[in-house]
Amino acid sequence: MTTHHHYREAIEMAGRGRGHRMMSFSVDAVGIRESLPPTIHQPTPVFPVMEQKPLPLTGGEEAEYLLALKQDCRGAMRSLPCFIQPAVAQRDVERYSDKYHISEQTDRLKDWVVDWKRFPRELRVHVRKAPGDGALLSCRDSGQQIQKKKKKVREEILLKLETLEKKEEQESSEGEGEMEKKQDEGAEAEEDYDEEEFEEETDYIMSYFENGEDFGGDSDDNMDEAIY
Amino acid sequence: MTAQEVRLCGLLMREHFGEVVEKVGTHLLRSGGQHLRAIVHETGVSADLVKKSLCVLMHHGACSFISGRKGPGSPPEYQASCDCILRILRYPRYIYTSKTLYGDTGELIVEELLQRGHMTMSGTVKTVADRLSQNMEDGQSVDYSEVSSVFSKLVETHFLQRCPPLDGAGMTASSTQAGPNPTAAASSSTLPNPESFSECYKVPHVTLVGRGKRQLATEEGEEQRSAKRAKMEPETHGDEGIYWQVNFTRFHQHFRDQVIISAVASKLDQTSSEIVRTILRMSEVTTSPTDSCTKPLSANEIFRSLPSSHNIPRQILDQYLTLLVDDPMEFVGKIGESGGGMFVLSILYFIAAAFLTSLPRSAPSISQPGTSHARVHRAGEVSLFGSRSARIFRLLLRKRHLEQKQVEDFAMIPAKEAKDMLYTLLSQNLVQLQEIPKTPDFAPSRTFYLYTANQLPTARMLLQKCYKTVSNLVERRLFETKENKRLLEKSQRIEAILASLQASGAEAEQLTEVEEMISAPEKQQLEVLKLHVNKLDSAENQVDETIFLLESYINSTC
Repeated sequence: MTTHHHYREAIEMAGRGRGHRMMSFSVDAVGIRESLPPTIHQPTPVFPVMEQKPLPLTGGEEAEYLLALKQDCRGAMRSLPCFIQPAVAQRDVERYSDKYHISEQTDRLKDWVVDWKRFPRELRVHVRKAPGDGALLSCRDSGQQIQKKKKKVREEILLKLETLEKKEEQESSEGEGEMEKKQDEGAEAEEDYDEEEFEEETDYIMSYFENGEDFGGDSDDNMDEAIY
Repeated sequence: MTAQEVRLCGLLMREHFGEVVEKVGTHLLRSGGQHLRAIVHETGVSADLVKKSLCVLMHHGACSFISGRKGPGSPPEYQASCDCILRILRYPRYIYTSKTLYGDTGELIVEELLQRGHMTMSGTVKTVADRLSQNMEDGQSVDYSEVSSVFSKLVETHFLQRCPPLDGAGMTASSTQAGPNPTAAASSSTLPNPESFSECYKVPHVTLVGRGKRQLATEEGEEQRSAKRAKMEPETHGDEGIYWQVNFTRFHQHFRDQVIISAVASKLDQTSSEIVRTILRMSEVTTSPTDSCTKPLSANEIFRSLPSSHNIPRQILDQYLTLLVDDPMEFVGKIGESGGGMFVLSILYFIAAAFLTSLPRSAPSISQPGTSHARVHRAGEVSLFGSRSARIFRLLLRKRHLEQKQVEDFAMIPAKEAKDMLYTLLSQNLVQLQEIPKTPDFAPSRTFYLYTANQLPTARMLLQKCYKTVSNLVERRLFETKENKRLLEKSQRIEAILASLQASGAEAEQLTEVEEMISAPEKQQLEVLKLHVNKLDSAENQVDETIFLLESYINSTC
């Protein structure tokens, strides 16, 4: 609001009350004609110049203690369960640290004890589910995913074994030179395929969660290759 | 509530309950009573989060619900109240007051209750005892009974009260489900007055034996603790379902008394302020906070209650009382002669007087976020328009109506400047212009133009300005911290590393190496930031003092 605007409003309102006259009093009579600023057609500056210096803040022990209390209080309330974090948007990739964050959040929600006698039932039914469930669900989800992945891996291994068996059979029937070539090609193709699969899923967690048998086997294979 | 109030509430909720609650809360404040479905629909927040937010707000008393307004079984309507959220601004002052009155234990009790909204007595006592033990030397701890006794004292002096029982809450829900008593379902739980509940200040019998436990840092301890917690969970203390909250009105009454005492001390002298303090203390419990004056007290009673340390003889007391009665401000009134004279203390006059003396000083100027440096201050028309404008304002307050010529004469300010100042004050709505025509034609030459200062509207306007000021201060602080977020995070990380290194007994060389990860200019920047944030925070505290004064003036006059 401009000061000028205020002034004009005051005059207009006074005028309206009387009816036909625009101004109920002459500006000269009040003696403010010369101080009337020119009409302005733009908003006042966001940070007007301050003509007077502000009074300094009061200092002292009490003020400082109050300040410390204020900051402590704000910090403390952030860590209480009643500080609700917005749902974190699903990030680009699943991260190793994610599961630790999840456990942090569930811990906070577990502390949140509400006496449901004091709150409406409609909040209760779902909310009680929500804190437990929100966390549980995600856990369960990831658990299911992991299981699925495990299944997949197992299937892949079976498939691989089967193909290898077939190849062996082929080996025995076909000539050695040809077989070598073919086998190489096949192995290469398979390796490519595997890598692609792994890359698509970006699934280092999978290998982490596996009991290590696969890993050991792999490394053995590698060792063999290295030796030969 | 006004736009400024809602804005401030939003900012406070964001800082203390998170952004989700802010969204739900401001929506509720703007739209009034609403059903859950409507809130979920209109805010676009997921239903679970809305429910949690409502729980948080209700837990802090900032939100209430009416169930079954449109017949039994209809869903409850939620309503948020501005006042309770604005109280967050005053939390430091409540905590500080309880510290001065009841020491560290009282401080922690009030702090816990404020931060968590409401708690059972046993829960509070346990947490506070644990926290106190935490800060003590090895092997020492605080007994639960000590904390309990402080808690009881706080209740006795009405600083804490029971949360009023909510008949409408769970009971309604269960009855609607079972359906045996449909009339009970229409009961409401909107802001029941806690005082109307007879057991409001009754401390339940709590069986609590033990001492505060120190939190153990080792992992082993952690496991033990969680095991212990699991074991302790089903334990009952006999106060389940009885929740306590901070009685803001009582705290405000205390603040008000402090204002009165200091006003008397500065107007008369220390001794008279002690007498007034005694009168106030005597009437603390007998007078309700909304009364405009205390119950009559006889001079004999006052004399008996005076603390002996002040050593005020009876004669001097009588003289002081006459002095107080004769004072033009009419703080103390004499209403009878029995018992050496009956006296009442007019609280209303006091507040008005305190308000009026502070008014020319207290109007805060508005500091906006985004200025090159933190311009924070609590300042008045003194700073807005200069001390001479303040003189004119005070003059108008005392003389009520004055013509321009009279203003110039009384204030002893040259005509031209006085005109200018009056215009500025008029344009800011701090003074009003009243015209009184001698003839019905409103001819300017035959009309008086009287300037007048209108107290109540001015107080309301200043209050809104105060809210705006605080909002700007908060906004500015958030801006400052956001600008320096990276730096703050870095310093926090380094501090954490330092702490862990120190704990593991690292060498001094290593420590300095880590310390040097923050460069000198960065350090400087951090210090400047800290200075600004501190300044902004204490400015918020001090504007809140003004807000308190304005609020109590407005509340006591209407």
